Amino acid sequence: MANTFMRTLAALTGLLMFAAIYMTFAFVPTEAEQGIVQRIFYFHVPCAWVAFAAFGIVAISGIFYLWLGGQIWDDLGYACAEIGMVFCTLVLITGSIWARPIWGVWWTWDSRLTTTLILWLLYGGYIMLRAMAGDSPQVARFAAVIGIVAAADVPVIVVSVRLWRTIHPAVLITKQGEHGLTDPRMVATLLVALAAFTALFAWLLLIRFASLRTRSRLAALERELNLAEAAAGDL
Amino acid sequence: MAGFVAVLRKDLTLELRGGESTLALVALSILILVVMVFALDPAGGAADAPIAAGALWVAMIFAGMAGAARTVLAERDNGCLRALYLSPLDRGALFLAKLAAASIFMIVAEAAVVLMLVLFFNLDFDLRLARMLPALALGLVGFAALATLLAAISGRVHAGDLLMPLLAVPMYVPALIAGVKASAAALGGAQWSAMGQWLRIMIAFDVLFVAAGFILFEHLLGED
Repeated sequence: MANTFMRTLAALTGLLMFAAIYMTFAFVPTEAEQGIVQRIFYFHVPCAWVAFAAFGIVAISGIFYLWLGGQIWDDLGYACAEIGMVFCTLVLITGSIWARPIWGVWWTWDSRLTTTLILWLLYGGYIMLRAMAGDSPQVARFAAVIGIVAAADVPVIVVSVRLWRTIHPAVLITKQGEHGLTDPRMVATLLVALAAFTALFAWLLLIRFASLRTRSRLAALERELNLAEAAAGDL
Repeated sequence: MAGFVAVLRKDLTLELRGGESTLALVALSILILVVMVFALDPAGGAADAPIAAGALWVAMIFAGMAGAARTVLAERDNGCLRALYLSPLDRGALFLAKLAAASIFMIVAEAAVVLMLVLFFNLDFDLRLARMLPALALGLVGFAALATLLAAISGRVHAGDLLMPLLAVPMYVPALIAGVKASAAALGGAQWSAMGQWLRIMIAFDVLFVAAGFILFEHLLGED
């Protein structure tokens, strides 16, 4: 049952990803001002969406872990933090590739770039905590608190960095309240790419989540075994 | 309230008898300030305001990283943290007491750093320094809250002293940006109105982290 579902999801992800690649390179018209480079947008935006969604789930599962308990929430949060980190890295890389020809620099301290970098550092710290501190219910609680506090900090980061400086193009929502995608084919390509990356996120998440669940169950079994051995030793 | 006063009084008494946290904070802050002066080589004059503000905040967060968490870290010895956890003391009050103690240590250190800043950067003792005080006070309380919260983690995991800056610096970014901007404006002779938006960000940051610590500290103290 679970296997059939995973296979179907994998096939769906593959199909959508193939469609997204085809549409990005062959279907969508080239943007008039920026030229061919603009096509990276159709991968850049979905990566950002997945990263933010994943970091959001980290905070939510942290709340549920502290509230209800249960190793399952901790495993979910950890899996999402790792995947979010991968996609956040991809956002920074694709952004840099685009910025070099368009802005003339690899990196600039624009507000969205800066915010994304701070997020990357923030969740990098979260993953370092988990990697260095190991597995225990105590570390799980620490991670839950960090996940919650980090997410609560994000709006303050966004506002402060935006006041600090901004030059990032507002493609999806411009100041006039319209989006900057002039051709309906651009919208279609973006939507397919978003669907493809969302499916990819779900697939990766389920795989990682399942492996973390297995590890947690194994750890629980080991604890039980140790207790049983200790009890047998007492006799 | 009684618990808050008791823990705060204990920490202050300890500090008055030993005094290592505040002294280390002061020494480290001044040392970092000296490093910043060598690294940035201020020319002297009005153009130095942003540099002086930057140096001040670098000194504050790096010294704070090492010193502000002492109030919590000191409790690890002899299982004091466990004793505090087992006591009927309210966890929120415990957090606030630790935060208050850390803030007091940092106020002493900051006073020394501002004094050295005036000397090193050839500033005047005038209204501009006074205008910097709200930003400094807000930044200091926010950092103390963050450091107290994180100390409960970094003090009890493997390689926690490495983790402290990795977690604290990205989280402190909003207050850092706002604090540097507000201080630079103040030192540059700007009016209060120029600092309003930055001070509001710092207030939001402080409210967030004091509230987060108050609510979540309990979850950090438990053992398994």
